[in-house]
Amino acid sequence: MKKEKRQNAAADILRACLKNKAALIPGIIILIVIALSVFGPLLTHYDETSQDLLNRLMPPGNGHIFGTDELGRDVFTRVLYGTRVSLLVALLPTALAVAAGCAAGVCAAEFKGATDFIIMRLADIMLSIPGMLLAMVVLYTLGGSLTSVVISLVLIEWGGIAVVVRTATLEIRESEFVEAAVSTGAGRFRVMMRHILPNLVPTLIVLFTLNIPSSILSESGLSFLGIGIQPPDVSLGLMAGSSRQYLFQMPHLALAPAGMIMVLVLSFNFLGDALRDILDPGRRTL
Amino acid sequence: MKGLAGRIIGVIVVLIGVVALIFVMLRIIPGDPASVLLNEHVSQANIDRLTRTMGLDRSLPEQFFGYLAGVLHGDFGRSYYIQQPVSNLIMEALPFTIKLTLLSIAFAWTFGIISGVASAMYNEHIIDYLFRGAALLGISVPVFMVALLLQYIFYFRLSIFPLTYDGSFASLILPAIALGWNSAGSIARLMRSELMEELDAPYMDTAKAKGLSYRKAVLVHALRNAALPVISLMALQLSGMLSGAVITESIFSIPGLGKLALTALQTRDMPLLQGTVLFTAFLIALGNICADLINTLLNPRLRTG
Amino acid sequence: MTVKHIYMIALIAALILSGCGAGAGNTDTSAQQDAAASQTAGAQADNADSGLLRGALNADITTMDVHKTSNDYMVPMNIYDTLFTIRKKDDGSTEIVNSLAESYDLSDDGKTYHFTLRDGVVFSDGTPLTAKDVKFTFERILTLPDSAQTDYAIPIDGAQDLLDGKADSLKGITVEDDHNFSITLSEPYAGFLASLATPSASIYSEKIVTEAGDDFGVLPEKTLGTGPYIVTEWTRGSGLKFEYNPRYWGEEPSVKRVELSIMEPQAMNMAFQKGDLDILDCLLIDSAIVKSIYKTDAYKDHIVSIDRMGTNFFMMNENVEPLNNVQVRKAIQMAIDRESILQSIYDGDGQLEDGIYPTGCLVYNKENQGWLKYDPEGAKKLLTDAGYGDGFDMEICLDTSNTDAVQNTVQVIAQNLNDIGIRANIRSVDHASYLDLRNSGDMSSYLALWLLDFNDPDNIIYTFFGNKDNTKTRSNNYADDAVIARVTAAKTIVDETERNKEYAALEKKLVQDDAVWVPMFSLKHLFVISDRVAEFTPHWAGWSDFYFAQTELK
Repeated sequence: MKKEKRQNAAADILRACLKNKAALIPGIIILIVIALSVFGPLLTHYDETSQDLLNRLMPPGNGHIFGTDELGRDVFTRVLYGTRVSLLVALLPTALAVAAGCAAGVCAAEFKGATDFIIMRLADIMLSIPGMLLAMVVLYTLGGSLTSVVISLVLIEWGGIAVVVRTATLEIRESEFVEAAVSTGAGRFRVMMRHILPNLVPTLIVLFTLNIPSSILSESGLSFLGIGIQPPDVSLGLMAGSSRQYLFQMPHLALAPAGMIMVLVLSFNFLGDALRDILDPGRRTL
Repeated sequence: MKGLAGRIIGVIVVLIGVVALIFVMLRIIPGDPASVLLNEHVSQANIDRLTRTMGLDRSLPEQFFGYLAGVLHGDFGRSYYIQQPVSNLIMEALPFTIKLTLLSIAFAWTFGIISGVASAMYNEHIIDYLFRGAALLGISVPVFMVALLLQYIFYFRLSIFPLTYDGSFASLILPAIALGWNSAGSIARLMRSELMEELDAPYMDTAKAKGLSYRKAVLVHALRNAALPVISLMALQLSGMLSGAVITESIFSIPGLGKLALTALQTRDMPLLQGTVLFTAFLIALGNICADLINTLLNPRLRTG
Repeated sequence: MTVKHIYMIALIAALILSGCGAGAGNTDTSAQQDAAASQTAGAQADNADSGLLRGALNADITTMDVHKTSNDYMVPMNIYDTLFTIRKKDDGSTEIVNSLAESYDLSDDGKTYHFTLRDGVVFSDGTPLTAKDVKFTFERILTLPDSAQTDYAIPIDGAQDLLDGKADSLKGITVEDDHNFSITLSEPYAGFLASLATPSASIYSEKIVTEAGDDFGVLPEKTLGTGPYIVTEWTRGSGLKFEYNPRYWGEEPSVKRVELSIMEPQAMNMAFQKGDLDILDCLLIDSAIVKSIYKTDAYKDHIVSIDRMGTNFFMMNENVEPLNNVQVRKAIQMAIDRESILQSIYDGDGQLEDGIYPTGCLVYNKENQGWLKYDPEGAKKLLTDAGYGDGFDMEICLDTSNTDAVQNTVQVIAQNLNDIGIRANIRSVDHASYLDLRNSGDMSSYLALWLLDFNDPDNIIYTFFGNKDNTKTRSNNYADDAVIARVTAAKTIVDETERNKEYAALEKKLVQDDAVWVPMFSLKHLFVISDRVAEFTPHWAGWSDFYFAQTELK
């Protein structure tokens, strides 16, 4: 019966989102961007890595909607592929960080005492090292690649999430229905799975959505420093970063990837805000 | 008081953890400080000689506890690369970072609060749109692009500010804006939404009914209630700013902590990197404690809790 | 309704942003007008700033002590002196001229040089220069734990013993009196005088260096030399300031003060156009930008170009399968479209090199040039014959601290190799990891450049193929011990004809027969100078670093 109730809750969330324009519009835009990046290859007859040295740095036109880059590659095609990588870099590490942060936060709140102290100090350690430096240490250790960018972003983000989840868990634990469950003699694991986790879901959804923009921006910062995604792979941040020399002579090179970054960051921000209003996971300065 | 003592112990534990983490990571990281120092004119014999001189042939625990013991005596070691005591180098760089961070915090708070309040008060008015547009640009454009655009517009086109840091106050303004804009955007958005909620609250009608002018009602009541979440957010942003300083200081050639840490990492200058990270972590911890204190002062309910 | 508005705002914001950009895009000409306008402003500033030269560095220096760096020569070149210097003659060849040494003679066995120091030279604090300082300098090069310049003292007799800690002093240098000393080499070495003319062999004062201790090279007021300038300020990460050294023994230069700022390439470009920089190093900026802004009527008279004496090459590691197969390496030589890279990425500013020694280097031999042609079909055939018709996986290592041009070149090389079926992957690592990997001898392949420190073939060929240690630290692992022994022995050949012949034969053997690397090209180094500069003389080998004293201001 409880399970059924949860399904209903999921459906309720979806229905509420569909009704709420503040959530619907950014949601639709995100879906369009995802569709563009998935079906991108159908929209272009260029290859994202094929070079054309005779036609480098061409202005828009001549079959190149956004012109060509420093090696004569079609910028439009590269934005489509770059969006794919950037979405991956936005979604995957954020999801992993939320999972890790959730596990850490719940454990800290549940087991209290030494476990709590150790987990929270670990989170503090992560939060006390400036994210960019921590990411750089990881990237230098592992070498620049998609995998290492994902790992470094998870490392940066989980700590903050753990802190929020811990507070939320403590709040839920104090609520009447959990106390009631505990008093009926339900096991700790059962309480955690049946009562605490389901009630954390709204918090986690909002945390997930609101952390995505910072993942996108961090990736672009790392790519600017030349240690994020590496060629021949392409991401929006890498494109924007490597166009810095041409920013003012050939603005089309930076504009397309930067515009896409803006669209993604804003959409996820608005979606996150709207979800917070809909789900109302409480005020914890998410 | 007990809370404060607990906090301090927590901070010390965290700082030791930070050192341990960086220490271990730096030993895993490929790239040997001796190779970097010798660069192109390299031979295996020279590398071995230098490795011995740096004490890098000692065992890891020996190096770690040696370092910790040094730190407890205020000795952060010597930089491999710049050949000076790490504490001197940090003290040299610190004023620049403090100036930059304070200025960008000032910018973020002023701009964030003013634009948040203005857009809430003039909801759906052109003023609202302008301020919200500026806030949205801040949160959605990567820091380095903001920095480059500012250089282009205010140096190259308009000749108002210097291109890079030259010691003058004016040359700190562009980097402070670049660094603070993102925070300003978040503050403005949060301020606006908090204030809008307060403005809708029933007590506002009472206030107005009592004869307070609209403006005064906003400033006196709504603003005070809306301030709390905003202040918590501001405290959280310090770490983000010190992180963003790495990029901003590079673009504007500011000889601060971020740039020092970046150089240290690039050259595998372990004592210097350990020192800068430890110090930055200390600053962040300090910022968090201050934020807690302010929160407690402003919100009497928390004091008992 | 609020949401709709939010998106309108976002749209407006994006338009503002793109407006800024688009405005910039159409304004190549207005940028030039700006530049012209600011050049008049520059002329006004001229009176206040007379004698001031403003340059830029793209990264901070690490030390001012040249014994501890093999990279940062801008400061040492201008604050210290060497016994000799190198001057480029009008015909493009170079000659060695006296600097701190007033005269020298060489013994008949070609091993002992006798030098007389110039009279009346003092360091910038007034300490006189004596022959003892020369001996101290070379002993310091050998005994400093983090010395980066041991190569320059090693030819001296007894140097190895001092380096290994088996001796207390350098046997090969005998101080006769304050102005006379002699240096004995363990073997004759034709390039020795030229090697004394590099900044690496700058002469220090024993008194100043000893008194400064660890502060030497770090604190400007304690880092003193006999050169024409003194560093007055070094703000780490921000820039350096220099002033003319009034005690300098030579002619008073036209440049009296120098400011070097550290900035990113795009910032240099802006600063130069605004008239805030006097010298712009074009190799840091994309050639397309250089072409559209500076190779124009407005600036073309301000461009100074010098042929860089340095070979860009693509190294292949013979310890890595299947690069150990000479046919495979030859296929790679033929697969890389060097001409296209030169024309597109460098806008044609350079010339192809087919050997080891760059154009302009002593012993440069025309007969070893012109043999290597871009031939992807031929390369494929070679691969098939070698049993790699289906291609293979290969790794190219890239140092991410390189300029954009180098990073782009590596991407083109990877594409060229993919075109003949070799699946080339780029492995990007930062500078420190790169050096570590290369020194370990395990780097599969990499693109690099060797700029001559002094004009002698030994400087380049010995570095890469001179002994087993070098072939490992340069990750080529060249296997033919007989050839390596010949490279070492070639150093000591004194007879010029014989020397030329041997170096040419070694070049042919290494590059054409054994395909140790893919010779790429040597580049022209372009600089743009502002209206305030009357004459600018780049370093003879086309380094980015230059002698301030050789620059004339208007």
